[in-house]
Amino acid sequence: MRPPGRRGRAAVAAAGLAAGAGAGVALLWGGYDVPAALAAPTLVLNLAVGWSFIGIGLLAWSRHPDNRTGPLMVVLGFAVLGRFAVAVASDVGFAVGVLLGSLYLSVFVHLLVTFPTGRAGTRLQRGTVVAGYLLATPLDAVFLLLGATRGAPAGLPPNGLVIVPATAGSPDPVDVVVQVVVLALCGAVLAIVWGRWRRAGTAERRAIGPGLLGGVLVVLALMAQRSAFVVGIHPDVRVVFTWAARVVLVVWPLALLFGLVRSRLDRSAVSRMIVELGAGPPGSERLREVLVATLHDPTVQVAYWLSERGRFVDAAGDPVPVEPPGPGRAVTYLERAGSRIAALTHDAALAGEPELVEAVAAGAGMALENERLHAEVRARLREVQASRARIVESADAARRRVERDLHDGAQQRLVNVALLLRMAQGRLSSRALDEVDALLRETADELAGALEELRELARGIYPALLTDCGLGPALTALAERSSVPAVVTAAPPGRLPAALEHAAYFVVSEGLANAAKHSAAGEVRIDVRVADGVLVVEIADDGVGGANLDGGGLRGLVDRLAAAGGRLRLTSPAGGGTRLIAELPIGATGAGAPAPLPRAAADPTRAAAAAT
Amino acid sequence: MPIRVLIVDDHPSFRSLARRLLVDEGFDVVGEAGDGRGALQAAGELRPDLVLLDVQLPDVDGFGVAAALAGQPSPPEVVLVSSRSRADYGQRVGSSGTRGFIAKAELSGALLRQLLTGGRTAS
Repeated sequence: MRPPGRRGRAAVAAAGLAAGAGAGVALLWGGYDVPAALAAPTLVLNLAVGWSFIGIGLLAWSRHPDNRTGPLMVVLGFAVLGRFAVAVASDVGFAVGVLLGSLYLSVFVHLLVTFPTGRAGTRLQRGTVVAGYLLATPLDAVFLLLGATRGAPAGLPPNGLVIVPATAGSPDPVDVVVQVVVLALCGAVLAIVWGRWRRAGTAERRAIGPGLLGGVLVVLALMAQRSAFVVGIHPDVRVVFTWAARVVLVVWPLALLFGLVRSRLDRSAVSRMIVELGAGPPGSERLREVLVATLHDPTVQVAYWLSERGRFVDAAGDPVPVEPPGPGRAVTYLERAGSRIAALTHDAALAGEPELVEAVAAGAGMALENERLHAEVRARLREVQASRARIVESADAARRRVERDLHDGAQQRLVNVALLLRMAQGRLSSRALDEVDALLRETADELAGALEELRELARGIYPALLTDCGLGPALTALAERSSVPAVVTAAPPGRLPAALEHAAYFVVSEGLANAAKHSAAGEVRIDVRVADGVLVVEIADDGVGGANLDGGGLRGLVDRLAAAGGRLRLTSPAGGGTRLIAELPIGATGAGAPAPLPRAAADPTRAAAAAT
Repeated sequence: MPIRVLIVDDHPSFRSLARRLLVDEGFDVVGEAGDGRGALQAAGELRPDLVLLDVQLPDVDGFGVAAALAGQPSPPEVVLVSSRSRADYGQRVGSSGTRGFIAKAELSGALLRQLLTGGRTAS
């Protein structure tokens, strides 16, 4: 339902005033003889109830257009005033008055059961709302058709509009049954309200507390009134309960008004928050305390956005998930100067107060940005610490690998040489020279193998070609030795700072090793170029994909590149090949543009290597 | 009667050369195994007099295999071998319950016989 505009609201308000005036006219000049001592309180009380519901309902409707509480309040106000039709001493007035007699109570039940949204979400809520409406106009219509007059004292309008003690005597059994049903309905309403209260968080309780409390008071007063009737308390006492039930009905719109005004008061608390943030000691815990106090939500959590890493972290710099926020929780993203700085995870009830949260975000923007920067520094520090630990681990692993390679490779071959020589020695003593010759050939082969393995090992530790001739020739040699067919499609035509050349070389070396081990690729393409002051190393294969950066080798590369101010990106969709891209800022090592390549090492590129 | 030997080493080239060398020197090489589990199985089936046992194996190390062999009924004699030196293993060789230790490069039939007949010494 669309909320009325300013004109619409004025029209509804005017209709409310007219309905009130009409109620007064009907009561005073409708044809019944109502004493002034009874007419005045009846009129004042009902006008107070009707007009306050209409006025506050219009205010709530304009503030929360999607919420049905406002329009329901307006309807309730008109229903209260509409009851005065019964004061017009005519058949039509009597019929309309009887039909509208209890409608306001049905709307009240609807309003309270679905508070604060005005929407019935559960089956119990819907059933209670429907039962409330069935007990009003339809039941009154039945009474009307049966010719019931509800026993109004002579000279007064019927239907209990004017509260006077009923005549003593046994209550009508049908009336007793109806009142018992009404009491059961009131019990269901209280149960729903209690469940709503129990589920609500602190912030939500603060928002809905006044409305629920006021509504509960009305229900309790109604229950007292109806119970007094059922148990047959003397009419002179019962009339007090009836008055009390009407009077507390005025309390409810005031309680709702208080709820509305308090959220405005909350917004004025933002200025106090800014003062507190400026006066208190800095720190993320202090900031959270102030946010908790201002938003009245002890569950508020702040996560800071690190745009470079594309993730949220807590104040300590540890990554934290923000979405999904969980049941009963909501997330508000905070921006400053158009950039995201933080996310507040809070009670979902605050989502109904976006202005308050936005005001808090604006007020605390500088403090949040400050804490965001602290969190970023802590996150970087943690990454550096983790990276340092990995570098130590990686160095240990590399040493273990060298030891194992030596043990399984060259050392084993030298053992074989020793055994072969011992066997040859034995043959010499028996003068089996042909066998000695064969054994010595084997010995020479083993020694050649040992030499090659030692060379390979030395290259793995540090490639001499890279130091002597630069990246292009070293990559070409690497591609030629690769067990997967590899081609260098581009390499920078000159020398780069040593740290950059080494980092680029090991990226390619690790990329080729990974391709050989895991990719089942038919070809690997290596492309190294300088663009906008950045050395970009790209290794792409046509293999099975599915690689990730958590693998030991690639994780080590990430650390190596981070140490040189660079970064590593990996694209490896399953079945779509693997593309590894390392970016290294040339300025980060303190060096300038690439120096010209010596002539002897010129044009090292376009070398393709076949598989071995 | 020649001494029946089982060679246990994860390097095929060493197993092959050790077999040739020991056969040359009058031993009867009854089998080979490339890891600890294979060694225990082969020892159970072939009942060798001597197991020439590499210390560094891919599954269980040579000390573990030696301890498991010692638990078998009528266990074979065990001599440990390695491309490392005995000093690399500290006190473990002495407390291993084996006949001794020979560095692979120094393997010879004479040294093996000396270990088997001369008590628990090692090179």
